[in-house]
Amino acid sequence: MTTRSTVHPAVSAIGTGVSSGSSSSRERLEAEVVALFDELRDPLLRYLVSFGLVTADGEELLQEVFLALFQHLNQGKSKKNLRGWLFRVAHNLALKHRSKTQRDFAKRTQSQAAEFAREPGPNPEDQVQRSQAQQRLQAVVHALPEQDRLCLFLRAEGLRYREIAGILDISLGAVSISLARSLGRIARTAER
Amino acid sequence: MQHQDKHISDPELLQDIENELSAHAQKQVRAHLDLCWQCRTRRQELETAIADFVRAHQQEFEAILPPATAPRAMLKARLSQVPRIERAASSDRRFTWAILAMAGGLAAFILYVGLAPRTSRQAIVLSAPDARLTPGATLLENRQAVCAQANIKNKAVPVALQREVFAEYGVRGESHGYEVDYLVTPALGGAEDIHNLWPHSYSATVWNAKVKDELEDRLREMVCNGSLDLAEAQREIASNWIGAYKKYFHTNEPLQ
Repeated sequence: MTTRSTVHPAVSAIGTGVSSGSSSSRERLEAEVVALFDELRDPLLRYLVSFGLVTADGEELLQEVFLALFQHLNQGKSKKNLRGWLFRVAHNLALKHRSKTQRDFAKRTQSQAAEFAREPGPNPEDQVQRSQAQQRLQAVVHALPEQDRLCLFLRAEGLRYREIAGILDISLGAVSISLARSLGRIARTAER
Repeated sequence: MQHQDKHISDPELLQDIENELSAHAQKQVRAHLDLCWQCRTRRQELETAIADFVRAHQQEFEAILPPATAPRAMLKARLSQVPRIERAASSDRRFTWAILAMAGGLAAFILYVGLAPRTSRQAIVLSAPDARLTPGATLLENRQAVCAQANIKNKAVPVALQREVFAEYGVRGESHGYEVDYLVTPALGGAEDIHNLWPHSYSATVWNAKVKDELEDRLREMVCNGSLDLAEAQREIASNWIGAYKKYFHTNEPLQ
């Protein structure tokens, strides 16, 4: 058992910010990963949640994603388009997680569109703010085929068509058709 | 490409909006749009659909994303442990540290610990641990792993380790009034380690070990039913367990 007098490097590094004696390149790498976490945590978490995961599971997966990023960079691998790399890893981990919890996920996705259609919002003030049109739109989005929905969410997070195609392993043309189909449905919803 | 006599397809219009067309294709599309009111209207409808979706998307998620503070701290803790994890893996152990004391928590500890006179050392261990000695430590386990275990509550701490904890806190001769308590309970992924242990009074304060047990049960229930993030529960109990009790039981006094 570690005694208090034997301070583990992690203790000083995290608890006090004092260097644990690790190399400056190691510290720079950690700082780089944390900076990317600061920048992309919300978009990645939104993507994971929109995938059908509960927020807590999404947070856990995100930890794995950024630890994988650290390993990736630590091994001297490419830094090109790290945002696309992170989304691709998050996507793959989400698929893996879903396959483990298939039953819960299926139940959730079946009821999700209906929930969005009927849920009034978390409190009366939100009920007023959240228009019926937006509720209908959210219901339409959640009823989209999964690939269309994921395309839409990835694009909403600022990814280009080529990045989306790489993450979902589909062609550029398929991305374009998918997005146009989804936006067409949204446009028809708005007309009603 | 369809242009002049045929209308432009939605995917092409969208690619034009998104600047995803080649220069040549874009030139053709723009030439058609100059002449065709119908396609210009459709292009505008797609742009409106994008704006509608973005608004709904933001509204849908802004309320459900928890603050990033706790997961960020957890990530930093885990990053600092990467070499350690590798070593542990070789001996088939997944043990690691996670330091959970945060700035807010430290302020609370100053209230209980930092301002107390050093000469009355035992008096300062009544309700909360010394954050410098007991910042909290967890196993690297996720929610599923924690909740899959039977509710293990506080497993017994080895006697030798208890003595070490008492010695560190300066509790001598009167240790019968204390329980060596886990700051982050094993039922929430807390580690059996000296950095996660402290002498907690059974009865000398209303904020005693029995009251903390209630909080631990409540937090575990919330974590396992998905209403509270595991990392957040660990952070809250480690940084200021009394504050967490007040928050989750909606009271300023113990319910016991």
